[in-house]
Amino acid sequence: METVASAASFASSASPVAAVADEPSRGLFRTAWDFSFRMVLRYIKNSYKDDPFRTFLEVCLIGFIVWYMAKPKYNIGTNEIELSEKEIDELVEEWRPEPLVPALTEFERETLDKAIMIDGPNGTKVRLASGSNNKPVLNFASYNFLGFVDSPELGKHAVESLRKYGVGTCGPPGFYGTLDVHMELEKQIAGFIGHSAAILYSQAFTTTLSVIPCFSKRSDIIVADEGVNFAVQQAIFLSRSKVYWYKHNDMADLERILKDVNKQLVGRRGKNALPRKFIVTEGLFQNTGDISPLAQLVELKHRYKFRIILDESFSFGVLGKRGAGLTDHFNIDPHEIDLLIGALCFAIGASGGFCCADKDLVEHQRLSGAGYCFSASMPGILTIAAADAIHALEADPDSYLDNLRDNAVQLRTLLKRIPGLQIDGAADSPLIHIRLAPDTLVRMKRSGGAWTKTDIDRVLTEVAEEAQKDGVLLTRAMYVDDHERILPNSSIRICVSSAHTRKEVEKCAHAVKSAVSRVTSKKR
Amino acid sequence: MGKGQHASQALLGSVAEIIDSPHNKIAFTGISSDSFKSVSRTNTSLFDDSPVNETSEKSQTVTTAHQTSGHSSHPQQQHSDGKRKHGRLASFAGNELPHQKPPEMEDVPLFTRVTAYLSFMLIMMIAHVEDFFGMLFLPQKYVHLRVQNGYAPMVSDFDSMWTRHFYFRMLDCFNRPIGSVAGGYVKLCERISHDYNRTIHYTGRLQNVLNLASYNYLGFAQGEGVCADRAIKEMAENRLTQSSTRAEAGRTRLLVETEEMVARFVGTEAALIVSMGYATNALNIPSLVGEGCLIISDALNHNSIVSGARLSGSVIRVFKHNDTRDLEKLLRRSIIQGQPRTHRPWRKILVIVEGLYSMEGEYCNLPKIVELRRKYGFYLFLDEAHSIGALGKRGRGVCDLFNVDPREVDVLMGTFTKSFGAAGGYIAGNRELIDYLRLHSHSAVYAEAMSVPVLAQVSSSMRMIMGEDRENALEGQQHLEQLAVNSRYFSQKLKELGFMVIGDHGAPIIPLMLFNPTKMLAFAHECHKRNIAVVVVSYPATTVITSRVRICVSSAHTREDLDYALEQISEIGDLLMLKIHKNRVKKLE
Repeated sequence: METVASAASFASSASPVAAVADEPSRGLFRTAWDFSFRMVLRYIKNSYKDDPFRTFLEVCLIGFIVWYMAKPKYNIGTNEIELSEKEIDELVEEWRPEPLVPALTEFERETLDKAIMIDGPNGTKVRLASGSNNKPVLNFASYNFLGFVDSPELGKHAVESLRKYGVGTCGPPGFYGTLDVHMELEKQIAGFIGHSAAILYSQAFTTTLSVIPCFSKRSDIIVADEGVNFAVQQAIFLSRSKVYWYKHNDMADLERILKDVNKQLVGRRGKNALPRKFIVTEGLFQNTGDISPLAQLVELKHRYKFRIILDESFSFGVLGKRGAGLTDHFNIDPHEIDLLIGALCFAIGASGGFCCADKDLVEHQRLSGAGYCFSASMPGILTIAAADAIHALEADPDSYLDNLRDNAVQLRTLLKRIPGLQIDGAADSPLIHIRLAPDTLVRMKRSGGAWTKTDIDRVLTEVAEEAQKDGVLLTRAMYVDDHERILPNSSIRICVSSAHTRKEVEKCAHAVKSAVSRVTSKKR
Repeated sequence: MGKGQHASQALLGSVAEIIDSPHNKIAFTGISSDSFKSVSRTNTSLFDDSPVNETSEKSQTVTTAHQTSGHSSHPQQQHSDGKRKHGRLASFAGNELPHQKPPEMEDVPLFTRVTAYLSFMLIMMIAHVEDFFGMLFLPQKYVHLRVQNGYAPMVSDFDSMWTRHFYFRMLDCFNRPIGSVAGGYVKLCERISHDYNRTIHYTGRLQNVLNLASYNYLGFAQGEGVCADRAIKEMAENRLTQSSTRAEAGRTRLLVETEEMVARFVGTEAALIVSMGYATNALNIPSLVGEGCLIISDALNHNSIVSGARLSGSVIRVFKHNDTRDLEKLLRRSIIQGQPRTHRPWRKILVIVEGLYSMEGEYCNLPKIVELRRKYGFYLFLDEAHSIGALGKRGRGVCDLFNVDPREVDVLMGTFTKSFGAAGGYIAGNRELIDYLRLHSHSAVYAEAMSVPVLAQVSSSMRMIMGEDRENALEGQQHLEQLAVNSRYFSQKLKELGFMVIGDHGAPIIPLMLFNPTKMLAFAHECHKRNIAVVVVSYPATTVITSRVRICVSSAHTREDLDYALEQISEIGDLLMLKIHKNRVKKLE
């Protein structure tokens, strides 16, 4: 009886709302209301008659709820000091913020003044606006690994696609910003790599920045390589996951951490008993030119139940027999990589980036990948350019990749012969960092003063300038120094291209050699 | 018992509060608890007509219920409501926005609100029931949400609830691919699903529809014309891309010249171009502020600002959307209290606002904020993603609209995606700031430089707006005027038809309120049937019950286009009972 009554009273509490909304039936609702109210009243009377103590208890309970609801809400910022309006005005008056940006240092000002400015198209040979004579210089500074930037392949359909799609898409992919060619390119990339599905982002940096936080959340765990590029570092920071760093490319250290993490999780219970766990690393390291040992990573992944997020921004189009990246290089099933991030703006020479994953995970990104959901999609021209470039690479991988590998190996061997330099990285990596060897630095500064980073940067800038005089364009690897987690040692980053001839590669090595010897022999 | 009713009210209120907070905003660390209070207060008024009091004074309660909810059928009151709305717009020139509840909650009939909440609750209830029985009887369908083979699910079932049960059903409204330039008209790829969106088939046919969805405010998204020709010419001379960063080997003469032009256009000393709109915020804010700094952000700021602010590592506080009084209160409190725990003074305070809010169609109260800036000495970051090119007599954004000197704003940010028909964005400011960013901005140092056709599009469209292109001197100005006329005409007409349209007068973004989440799909479908493309938005972008249609007017639309759209939308409005203010409009006449 009681349950029926209370159910009726519950139903009645909703009815007046509808009664206001629906005028003609008000009479009916009123009757229903009166009826149910009488039932409630009867329920209270009966219960009082049967058990007065119970009624008392119920009243107490209701009283407690009201008290609880009415009491002042708990405020986190309670340690604030109360001040009078006059005091506040004075304090406001006194507060002086720092300047919005600090003044540039002398060296930064120089860097800015001497920055490379290309006049005309980019490519393997470029004209510099600042050059004294208007002779083209060989470009070893752009990430134009396959020479697509100056190949006719890239612009093959540029005019047609511009006429058809205009320049901008004028909307995010969700709101009529998806072009049919975007979907085709997504399919093409997934097919080329051999993964299930792909999603396009309109900038490479933002791809990484979106994908990692999209899946790795606050309570999750990331185990990442110390040498990853800045985009990955930022993405990990943005995800707010618990992060452990392992020594660069050190699988023993990685295994130690994975074991540790799993051990810590053993005792955990409840909802977050099993967080998502990721190993995050890069295919071809932007900052060192090293290649990740993927076979071991996959083995560790299975043994310790981690997932792999692999940033292939620099290895896509570069590594492997077909140029399909690290999985191709090691002949490993791409499905082993749970989230594979790649770039279309470096080797492919177009713009943007992509993420390959299982279909579900790709679809999830269409709503939760911030850079996909909240920004305009990639321009149609660049999409078609990327598609054409990948087609060309697919059709004849050897003509691009054999050359690239030969050039890379040759340049690395030549550079290694130059005294005073330290060259790291994998043997066939087209990304070569030149660093000044420690003993060169000691030799250069006999007076015994310590080298600051600016000093080394200055020397490297001089080397690049000297090389430029010999007709080779080089650049110091640029970093936002105070934002990098571990600032890589200063270096000149040389990017070999398949479009360089053997002679050009030799010329580059020669220019570096003479520039280094000229600069390092100078008295300081 | 009566008190118990109050308790349940408060409870419902807090539920509404949870429901109402859009998830990307929850992420702010310093979310002010009172920022949602006003919303929850209005929501609780839903249940104000407490039935308990009725025993004693039945008739009286009915009238009070009407009055408290404030959406009665009394003509006088409606009239005053109308006046208030006009007053709000008029007072804008006087630099003062009245302190009030969120505009989308203004004047919403009780019936609409109740049904919106009910339909939302119904959706959630069905979702839970479906999940409960589904997990019981069809476990294989839920495998991906469970721990498998020692791996945690990639997406937690609670997080994906919305996607699986709501977004999935109306998948058809979103991500519709197009097969042409997104101009005044656009060609949609036709698609069908025979199994409730599990698989989608493309028929290969294209449907030519009127485009009220793209941000092509000034109609520069074209495959023909001056801008396209210029882009082709530049591509022939400069190829397509740089495959390097701006700080290394991606800095070309074209880029530098375009940057100078942007600075001239915006009215600052210098500018920095970024190759993606989202990245303009997300990768530049961290270079401006860091630890020991405070970011004060509008509650409805775009996700890219949220990401940028989080990446910066500074403390983030949020003020009520467009409420300069709340901003001032927050500023005073923050300055005197200093940093949390240590109470050290803040190194810098950066206030971030948008010029034109993309989901509300509202301008920020720039004159007042600039006044506060002078008084409190914070730095002002103005995101003009939607307003640049689209607002002001000369198309220079909100600064132009309110006659504010751009130098009064420390950092001017904008995108080229919208009015200019290109892609990417810019940061403009004094030379010191831009020089610093050229070496310290993540976008300049690590991200690819802007491609050639995009640069060409930006510079040619900008030249046209500025009138520097002598051959087409008048065209830019015509675009600006046409946009202003179209925006005003369309929103005025929609209001006259009785639709609830929010947003400020003259903004090219016109949000038409639907409220019921289920009406989104119906509206989008009806529009597609009638060859109109519109954007329907709901939960992640807005609060849960304020689903809306966002109409973007362009200068590429002719009067006939707009009249056709109005006629069709009016029919749809009748069909879906969307003309919330129909009676009021009649009465006014």
